[in-house]
Amino acid sequence: MITKARKVADYKQLTKELPTLRYVDPERVYINLQSDRCKNYTIDVEKGDKVKLGQIMGERDGGFFKQPIYSTISGEVEGFTKKMHPSGIEVECVIIRNDFNDEYHENITDRPESVIEKMSKKEIVEVIRRTATVGLGGSGFPSYIKLDTDKDIHTVVINAVECEPYLSSDYRLIKDSPDEIFKGLKYIMQAVDAEKGVIAVKKTKTELIEVLEREIERYRNLNIRIAKLDDYYPQGWENETFKNALGIKIPAGTLPMEYGVLGFNVSTTSAIFEALKHNLPITKRHLTVNGDAINFPQNIRVRVGTCVKDLIKLSDGYKKDAKLIDLIVGGPMMGTSMPHDDVVVVPTTTSVLVFESQEFEEEPCVRCGSCIYSCPVEIQPVNIMNAFKRNDKKALEDLEVNKCIECGLCAYVCTSKIHLTDYMRKGKKLLG
Amino acid sequence: MEFVTKNAPHLRRPNASVIRMMRDVVIALSPLVLFALVVHGLTALWILLVAVGSMVATEYIYYQIIDKMNGEKFKINNKSFTVYNFSVLVSGLIYGLILPDEIPLVVVAIGGVVGVFLAKLIFGGMGQNIFNIAAFARVFVTLSFGTALVYAENIDSVLGATPLGALSANLFDASVVESYSYWTMFSGIGLPGSLGETSALLILAGGLYLFLRKSFDIFVPLTYIGTVFLISLGVMFTQDLGIWYPLTHLLSGGLMFGAIYMATDPITIPTTRPGRIYFAFGLGILTFIIRFFGDLPEGVVFAILIMNMFVPAIDYHKWAQSKFTFRSVSIFAVVVLISVISILVGVHYVG
Repeated sequence: MITKARKVADYKQLTKELPTLRYVDPERVYINLQSDRCKNYTIDVEKGDKVKLGQIMGERDGGFFKQPIYSTISGEVEGFTKKMHPSGIEVECVIIRNDFNDEYHENITDRPESVIEKMSKKEIVEVIRRTATVGLGGSGFPSYIKLDTDKDIHTVVINAVECEPYLSSDYRLIKDSPDEIFKGLKYIMQAVDAEKGVIAVKKTKTELIEVLEREIERYRNLNIRIAKLDDYYPQGWENETFKNALGIKIPAGTLPMEYGVLGFNVSTTSAIFEALKHNLPITKRHLTVNGDAINFPQNIRVRVGTCVKDLIKLSDGYKKDAKLIDLIVGGPMMGTSMPHDDVVVVPTTTSVLVFESQEFEEEPCVRCGSCIYSCPVEIQPVNIMNAFKRNDKKALEDLEVNKCIECGLCAYVCTSKIHLTDYMRKGKKLLG
Repeated sequence: MEFVTKNAPHLRRPNASVIRMMRDVVIALSPLVLFALVVHGLTALWILLVAVGSMVATEYIYYQIIDKMNGEKFKINNKSFTVYNFSVLVSGLIYGLILPDEIPLVVVAIGGVVGVFLAKLIFGGMGQNIFNIAAFARVFVTLSFGTALVYAENIDSVLGATPLGALSANLFDASVVESYSYWTMFSGIGLPGSLGETSALLILAGGLYLFLRKSFDIFVPLTYIGTVFLISLGVMFTQDLGIWYPLTHLLSGGLMFGAIYMATDPITIPTTRPGRIYFAFGLGILTFIIRFFGDLPEGVVFAILIMNMFVPAIDYHKWAQSKFTFRSVSIFAVVVLISVISILVGVHYVG
C-alpha cells in the first residue's frame, strides 16, 4: 500500500467484447446551444422550421473561437428547452423531432480521395473549423486551432490508450472501423506536414494491436507505427502518452506543439476523417453505458443530442435494488456526476456510468505517502492538503498545486480514503 | 431511487485501508510475540499484556472522557472509538517487545499510560503524533526507572550481558562477543536482550511479510540498516577488526527491530521517498554515534525520537521533493561523505 500504485482495475471486460448497438434514431434530439466553453450563441431557426441533417442552425461563441451548431438529424424544430450538459451546467437546447428520413443537407457531399490529397493546410483547417470538430477525448477543445499551429510538427500521436476504467467506446471504435483512424491520421499528417505518425495503445489490449497491425499493412507508404504502452493510469494523459510513446517529456505549462508533437484522440481522428471525407459534422459517436447499477451494460453508437434517459431505457434501466445512484458522464476517475438523468449527449460524451452510490469512510491521514508516490505530475497531495487546511498560500505555491491535472489518482490510492483530489481543487481555487 | 452528485474520482482502491496496514504489522509481529513467550514464558506474557492493556485502556478511557465532554451519551462502543483500527495495539505490542525481561509490571504500565497520553493523545490521536509512541514510552521508562531495567541472567551464557552491552564496555574487544555464535545472534535463541529484539530471523520474516503486503516502505529499513552496516564496516577496516564487528552491530540490539517496525511507522516519518531515505540515513548515523560514543549500549529508540523531530524540517515545502533530483542527490552524497568521515575520525581518536 505504501508504494507507487498506478494500476486501476479497469472493468472493461464488462463491455469491451460486446457488439456495438446502433441507436441512431431517437424520437427527438436536443442540440445544446451552449456548452462549458461557450456561454453565448446565436440561433437562426424557429419553432416549426424544417431542418436537414447537417444543416447549420446557429453559432456558439467561445470567446477565442466560434463554432457552428449543426442539426444531427432531419426533422422539425419543436422549440427550446433547458437540459443538463455533461459538464454539469444547465444549458439552452433546441428540440428537433425526428422525421426518420435522414435527409442530408445539400452541403454534405463526399470528397473523393484525389481532391483531399490536393488540399492545403489552410483548406483542411477551414473544413475542420466549419464542421465544429472538437477534441472528443473529453476536452472539447476545437481541433482546428490545434491543426492551425505555426510550429514545425514532426510527429502526430493518436491517443487510443483509453485509460479510464469502465470505458470501451474507443476500443469499439478501433475494432469496428480501424481504417477511419488510419485515414484520419493520414489527413492530419498531410495537414501539418508531419513525417511520423504514432498510434498509442495499451499493450494489454492485444485484440486492438492485432487489428491495427493488420490495417497498418495498407498504409506502408506512410511512416506510421504502433506504440504499445504499459497498462496504468493515467497513461492516456497526453503528456504521459508522449513521454512513453516518443520519449519526449513535456514540462508543465508548455504545449506539445513547441516540441513538434501533436496529439489527437482516436474519436477525434475518426471525426476528422468524417469531416474531410464526407464533409460531415459530428452526428454520431461511440458511447459506453456501464456500471454496477445498470441492468445491461453495453456499447452504443448514438446520435449526438440523444437524451441519456433514452439510453438508460435502452439498457433495461436502473437495477431495482439500487437506492442511491451516482450517474456519471465521462470516466469514473474524472467524470462529472449528474443530479438527474435529463442529460444530452454531446460530441465529447464518451460514456454514461451508473453506479450504486458508495460511501467511503474517511479515516485520519496516516501520512503513508501513497499519494505522493503515485502522483503523475510529481506533486505532494498530502502536504498540499495540509497547507490548504492551514490556509497557507505561500506553501501551496511552493508545492506547485497548479501542476495538478485532477486525474483523481491521489484520492483513488489513499489508504485513509481521503478525497485528496477535492483538496487539490480547493487549493487551486485558493490560489486563484 | 435517488441521484447523488459527487466529485470525481468515483472509485477507490480496493484492499487499501488503515486497518489493513495496522493489522499487517500485528501479523508481522506475532512470531516475535510467540518467540518471546517461548523463551521468557509467563514473564513475557505479563509484560506484553500490561504493555498492550495499559495503552489500549488509556486511549479508550481518554476518548470516553472526550465524548462525555462533548455531551455524548455513554456507550461501550463510543463515537470516537479508535481501538478498532489496531494502531494502539501495534504501539502496545512494539512497546512490550522492546522492554527487557526483568521489569516491574507497574513500570510497564506507567510507561504505557504516559507514552500513549503524552506522545499520541494530546497531539490529537492517530495520524497527528510527532513521536513514535513505543519509542517514547520506552525512553520514558529508561530515563525514569533506569535501575529497574535488568536483563535476566542468561541460561547459556555466564556473562548475562547483551552483546552490545559488552561491546559498549570494551570498544573493540572481540573476545566479549565471541561467546555468542553468529547463529545465536541471528536466530536469537539463547541470546539475552529485550523480549522481541533478539531474533533477527523472525524480525526479517516479519519485514518480508510487510514488504510483500506493501505495508511499509522497504527503503527505510534498507537505508537504516545499510548505513549502520557501512559505518561499522568502515570502522572494521580502519581499526583492523574482523567481520564480527559489523555483524554484531547488525544482529544484536534493537537495530533490526527498530528499523523494520519502528522507523517505518508512516505517521512519524517524512512523506516523500527521498525524505524517508534522508531520515533513515540520519537514524543510522545517530544510532551508531549513540552506540559508540554514548554512554548507553543502545541507540535505536533515541535515534528514532531525535529524527522524529526533524521530520517537519525534512518535509518543509521549500525543499521537499517527491523525486530525487540531481541537485538533491549531490547534496545528499556530500552530507553522507562528511558524516561518515567525521565518524571514522572520531572513532580513531576514541578507539
